[in-house]
Amino acid sequence: MTGLIDKNRKYLIVLAIFLFLFWLVTIQVKAGRFTILERPVLAVSGFFERIITGIYNVTTSTIHGYIVLVRTERENGRLKEQVERLRLENQVTNELLLENDRLRAALGFQKISLPGSITIGVIAKESSPSSSTFTVNKGSVHGLARDMPVVTADGVVGRIQALLPETAKVLLITDPGSTIAVRVQRNREEGLLEGKIDRCALKYVSFYVDVQEGDLLVTSGLDGIYPKGLPVALVTKVQKHEASSFQAVYAEPVVRFSRLEEALVLKR
Amino acid sequence: MNLYAYLIAFLLIIPLQATLLAPLSRIGLVPDLGLAIISIIGLLAGPIEGAIAGIALGLYQDISSASLLGLSGLTRGIIGLFAGFLGQRVLDVRGPSTPVLFALFSVLDSLLTTLYLEMTYGSFPILRQLFSRMLPRAFVTALAGYWLLQFVMRRNVLGLIRRRELQKEF
Repeated sequence: MTGLIDKNRKYLIVLAIFLFLFWLVTIQVKAGRFTILERPVLAVSGFFERIITGIYNVTTSTIHGYIVLVRTERENGRLKEQVERLRLENQVTNELLLENDRLRAALGFQKISLPGSITIGVIAKESSPSSSTFTVNKGSVHGLARDMPVVTADGVVGRIQALLPETAKVLLITDPGSTIAVRVQRNREEGLLEGKIDRCALKYVSFYVDVQEGDLLVTSGLDGIYPKGLPVALVTKVQKHEASSFQAVYAEPVVRFSRLEEALVLKR
Repeated sequence: MNLYAYLIAFLLIIPLQATLLAPLSRIGLVPDLGLAIISIIGLLAGPIEGAIAGIALGLYQDISSASLLGLSGLTRGIIGLFAGFLGQRVLDVRGPSTPVLFALFSVLDSLLTTLYLEMTYGSFPILRQLFSRMLPRAFVTALAGYWLLQFVMRRNVLGLIRRRELQKEF
């Protein structure tokens, strides 16, 4: 017996490490993710990521800059036309906003306003079967803080998960650790949207609640992280089982993460 | 095991994957370089070295991607061990079937992760993910892994590392 143990000692150590890791993962499901060693590891990987991205950006922007220069004149003319049109549209919009304010005041509604924002650039997209995160080029020195919402003009991207002075980690809404309080825009039904790696799922939706494919889910503001009314995801699949009191609702994020290059962090 | 060589490779592989290969996510075809490296270490250096490399790289990946600490460490350790057994006892690593093995390792890694997440969180559509994510990923990982393996074997990278170690020992 002792000989057998001695002969396979290395394998037994590896097996013990596997069992320890399984235990470690299992307790995090209840206790929440451990952030041990997060700062030093993010500092190291962020350092390399910034160097690689810097070299890549300089090379591609030089090549791209030359190609773009050729098209600039044509583009310039088109943009001038667009600016004129947008100025006109802006004037109309301003008029509508003023009218909206007057009507809201008349009806006694509260004014909805978005907080200030910080523009961030994506420098790395982590590719892991168990998580969905991005590294961005700004950190605590630029005013970012943990749990600040990250959005684009299309909708919600996620929230700041970890911070360093110069970089930050954004947890996408498709990550299994992400939960957002949402509302079905059409009928104001509420739910919790969880990440499922390549899409999201609406949890604990009663069998009798009216949710349909194509419904837009917007933030409800009840989680205290995301402001109210931002688009999050579109319902793509609704499954009802007679045996269950809940229905399975799946949704695709409105933001295309694969094409994301810049985003806004909303200040509190 | 040459710690410095592995350390440098591991420190570079995750940032390289996250930056230079990120644009490939637009077409949904991002090879998993970390998994390819672990498979190569397992195939060429044996099960114990493969398992330890898998655990180390997996843990680094878990921390850097704010994931459940230990999940990738566990799955990649198993892949490294599995690759090591195949490399040691069954397989001719120069054979044309090696890309299939890389693809198999990639699918196995994703399946283990998704099965765990399904058991703990629920509502993970495994079949859908198999076709939309796992198989395309396995295909490009197989190509990248095979190319890396050819590079390592042609340059005899592992032999060079080992020779330096032996020289030090003598």
